[in-house]
Amino acid sequence: MTHPLEQLRADALRDIASAEDERLLEAVRIRFLGRSGAVSEWSEKMKSLPKEEKPIVGKLLNEVRAAVTAAIEARADEFRAARESAAVANIDISLPGTPGEKGALHPLTQILDRSISIFRRMGFALAEGPDVETEWHCFDALNTPPDHPARNEQDTFYLRDGRLLRAHTSTVQIRAMQAAAPPIRVIAPGAAYRRDEIDATHSAQFHQIEGLYVDEKVSVADLKGTLEFFLRELFGADTAVRFRPHYFPFTEPSFEIDVKSKAVKGGEQWIEVCGCGMVHPAVFEAVNAARGDSAYDPEKWTGFAFGLGMDRLAMILFDIPDIRLFAQNDLRFLRQFA
Amino acid sequence: MKFSVNWLREFVELPASVEQLADLLTMAGIEIEGIESCGANFDQVIVAQIQQSRQHPNADRLSICVVDDGSGRTRQIVCGAKNYEVGDKVPLALPGAELSGGLRIRESKLRGVDSQGMLCSAKELGIAEDATGLLILSPEARIGAPIGEIFPTDIIFDVEITPNRGDLLSHFGLAREIAALTGKQIVTATVPKAEALPPQTKAGNRVTISALRECPFYSAHRMENVRVGRSPDWLRARIEAAGIRSINNVVDISNYVMLELGQPTHAFDADKIRGGIDVRLARDGEKFLALDGKTYTLTTRDLVIADQERVVGIGGVMGGEESGVTEATRNVLLESAYFLPASIRRTARTLNLPSDASYRFERGVDRQMILPASQRTAELMRQITGGTPGDSIDVAGELPPNPLKISLRYERCDELLGRRIESKTVDAILNSFGLQKNGDGGWRIPSYRRDLQGEVDLIEEVIRVYGIDKIPSADRSRFTPLSEADRIYDFETKLRRDLIALGLNEARTSSLIARDQTNEPHERIELRNPLSEDHVALRVSLIPGLLAALARNVRAGAERIALFELGNIFSPPKGDERRSLGIVLWGTTGANWRNYKKRRVDFFDLKGVIESLRVPELKFRRGERPSLVLTAEILFAKKRIGFCGQLSNTEAAMLDANGAVLVAEIDLLEIAQSRQRPKLFSGLERYPAVRRDIAMFVAPNVTHAEILRVIDSANEPLLERVELFDLFTEKVGGNAGEDRKSLAYSLTYRDKNRTLTNEEVSTVHARIRDRLQREVRAELRE
Repeated sequence: MTHPLEQLRADALRDIASAEDERLLEAVRIRFLGRSGAVSEWSEKMKSLPKEEKPIVGKLLNEVRAAVTAAIEARADEFRAARESAAVANIDISLPGTPGEKGALHPLTQILDRSISIFRRMGFALAEGPDVETEWHCFDALNTPPDHPARNEQDTFYLRDGRLLRAHTSTVQIRAMQAAAPPIRVIAPGAAYRRDEIDATHSAQFHQIEGLYVDEKVSVADLKGTLEFFLRELFGADTAVRFRPHYFPFTEPSFEIDVKSKAVKGGEQWIEVCGCGMVHPAVFEAVNAARGDSAYDPEKWTGFAFGLGMDRLAMILFDIPDIRLFAQNDLRFLRQFA
Repeated sequence: MKFSVNWLREFVELPASVEQLADLLTMAGIEIEGIESCGANFDQVIVAQIQQSRQHPNADRLSICVVDDGSGRTRQIVCGAKNYEVGDKVPLALPGAELSGGLRIRESKLRGVDSQGMLCSAKELGIAEDATGLLILSPEARIGAPIGEIFPTDIIFDVEITPNRGDLLSHFGLAREIAALTGKQIVTATVPKAEALPPQTKAGNRVTISALRECPFYSAHRMENVRVGRSPDWLRARIEAAGIRSINNVVDISNYVMLELGQPTHAFDADKIRGGIDVRLARDGEKFLALDGKTYTLTTRDLVIADQERVVGIGGVMGGEESGVTEATRNVLLESAYFLPASIRRTARTLNLPSDASYRFERGVDRQMILPASQRTAELMRQITGGTPGDSIDVAGELPPNPLKISLRYERCDELLGRRIESKTVDAILNSFGLQKNGDGGWRIPSYRRDLQGEVDLIEEVIRVYGIDKIPSADRSRFTPLSEADRIYDFETKLRRDLIALGLNEARTSSLIARDQTNEPHERIELRNPLSEDHVALRVSLIPGLLAALARNVRAGAERIALFELGNIFSPPKGDERRSLGIVLWGTTGANWRNYKKRRVDFFDLKGVIESLRVPELKFRRGERPSLVLTAEILFAKKRIGFCGQLSNTEAAMLDANGAVLVAEIDLLEIAQSRQRPKLFSGLERYPAVRRDIAMFVAPNVTHAEILRVIDSANEPLLERVELFDLFTEKVGGNAGEDRKSLAYSLTYRDKNRTLTNEEVSTVHARIRDRLQREVRAELRE
């Protein structure tokens, strides 16, 4: 025969389970655990029990009290959880978040940063030189003496004192070699200026990354590997890269590089992206003459140099049709790159 | 330069398709800028001769022509042109012909008169832009012949020849290159051989050179009894396809030979030359009327061709108007010479007078082509103008020497290219370009390859033919320490990212600005040769460019403008370059959403941006600047490094900006350098802080900085932090009363080593309160 306390436990658990809200659950609690509740009554009854029954009933009573208490708490938790869920059930999570405004980096900066980070992974350090340059750094030292057909003075801006705005960042090749003996492995991002009529693809000021690596036995193979790696990192691994012979006074042999990339609009065509070549021995000799030593002995050292047009790269990669947008700084343009 | 594929084909067998030819040239470093077809390949367009012409009875502007179409009977054509004469031969489009632009010809009635076809202009045939009248064909044209016989279809390549390859600026030259690249034979039939040249006379009285450096060699060949007139159609078609306008047969032949062989020649009217020719430097200020109708003032740096009395040509650049060949010319003096490239370039550039001739001379012409080109010209003139060439040719000076011999080390070639190439492959490539190996390992360079001057030039020829695609790609690298430029770049990259996190957008404005964007005329660093009024001077500040961008955005309807730029500015007077940060703010901030409210930005938004950059020791001090209504100087380590402030209303109105326009500019050099100290961890606080507030009224002129200074001067070691949390201004005793300012601060107290008691804090707090009452007459509120 079951002890009445067992029956009491069964009743209590049944009532707890069927209590429909917190108020009814509280009534159940009072009925069983309250000061004059059924469980408390049993505590009173304990006093009058025979001595030998006391431990058995006492143990059972404790078990029943613990079970009922736990069941009431568990049921109360269910009610609390349901109440919490109900409170947020109607919140429209499609409402806008609390606004926090973040600005945008200029698209040119974004392409420059991407490019610089690729070259840095390849062990290039940054170098720099001034925008306002001497004719010597811009032309003579780069194997383009006066009256050379490639000396584009008509296309170069001059200051009144005879200095000029560099027409290319190749000036930094000379500056870097004047400043340090070989080996040298640098890139130089910076502005260059050309006296072109301004239109959708020409701007008075544009941006380049110049590169120079001078070391023992640097070869066309190194040049090729370096720029292929860079261009595939920038345009995607499946980019086709083509080197075409070209002419620059300060490199020999010289090349232009075209890419074909599915990642860009119009990428089914070859797009010209870079000029490069092996540093001309005459450039080393000019640097030696300026340094007053023979640190750049063309028999011992060879090197490659390259120049990338960053405005053009940004136009290709972002599908920007007009170079003038870069300098206008229209927020409707800039914010698209946030 | 424009090349006719038909013409090239006369010299060398070409690849099967136009695309293959284009690829061959492209991969040899000869860039194709455009490919177009030309010529008149029309069915049903033939040569006809106009036999009669009369006025149309019903239309003033039309006439009725009777033409012979070669079929044995005549046709009647109504025509609107006026530029013909009876007897002229013209293109006739027969009914059924379809012309350029899809125009279909059929028999019709024009104002009541039958017209059995159409007489055509050059434009209607798509061979030139000229639409002003009928295309008059040469008298030799065969009546009834299809027009394609006279204007054969052709493909024109527009080719960019790099400045080192003057030898490619002719059809023969490019064909020779193609032959070298493909291994085909070059046809030299039209290039006169040495034995075909007339004898040379060193006739000191007829030709002298006074400027041997600028002109080492000069030749003049006399042609008598030429008949100047229209060029035959084939000659016109050839030079016009290459983009040169037809003038008359003599001038056209000279241009034709230049396009064919690369050597420019010049034809003088021999009867206008007084006495002998002297090639000399111009006298300072000497005047010259050129063929273009303009008068040029020369200097002693310009080389001229002169007779006894005057300048008759600027050597290698342009001939003179007075000595030019005209319809009346009977005898011609044909010049063919070698001019110093640098001298030609200098003169063409300083006179701003580039010509097809100067373009070639400044790149250097082939010394061995000077006399053959003269002979070829003379021969064509004999055939076409009926002239008689003189028995001998007058020469002066010496042909410039052949290029040096160049040696090539095969190991050096392998090293520079990064691949071993068999020496016999190298030899074969160089041989194909006409180079010949000597016993001593040196290579003899052909006279036309002036660009081959050293070992690397020969290596370039090798790789051009061998193919760079066969060179392996190497992934060689090197460890490089961080440079100063790296440090600056890293600093600026972080600064940029901080600024965009604060909601600012990066601008990049031009370093070149308009004159009216510069304030102080004496501070201006101007270009000597600006191209547009918008780009005249170097910027001395980022602010003008940023304000221009701000105005553009205001006008475009922006509500909120927050721009910054990191860039070079150029300090006067020398233009020393400094890195600078510029900021402009305008409009609203925030959003109308829940508890947020949009408001207009003010000075403190700008100051907050600058403070958020967490530059230690940055201080603000009231200052004055033109065009600003409110200015704070920015101090760093006690040095003034910039300013921030608000534009005056007048200035803002010029930008169409209502409300506050805020600007700041900060020199970055000192900050960038100070940033190199690493930060050190200072431990976490272990004992609780106690906060007490002070609210007070002070006179309106008492500043926050003064209050902080007073609190600070108490030197209380337990005081950790002071924060302002409320500020308002009110009138004492109604509207007429004086202003007073209410400020409320929260003070945080803490001891590093123990928990503070209430009593301790109260004592310290009371001392600070006393001090404020005493020193700034604060009226404390409870």
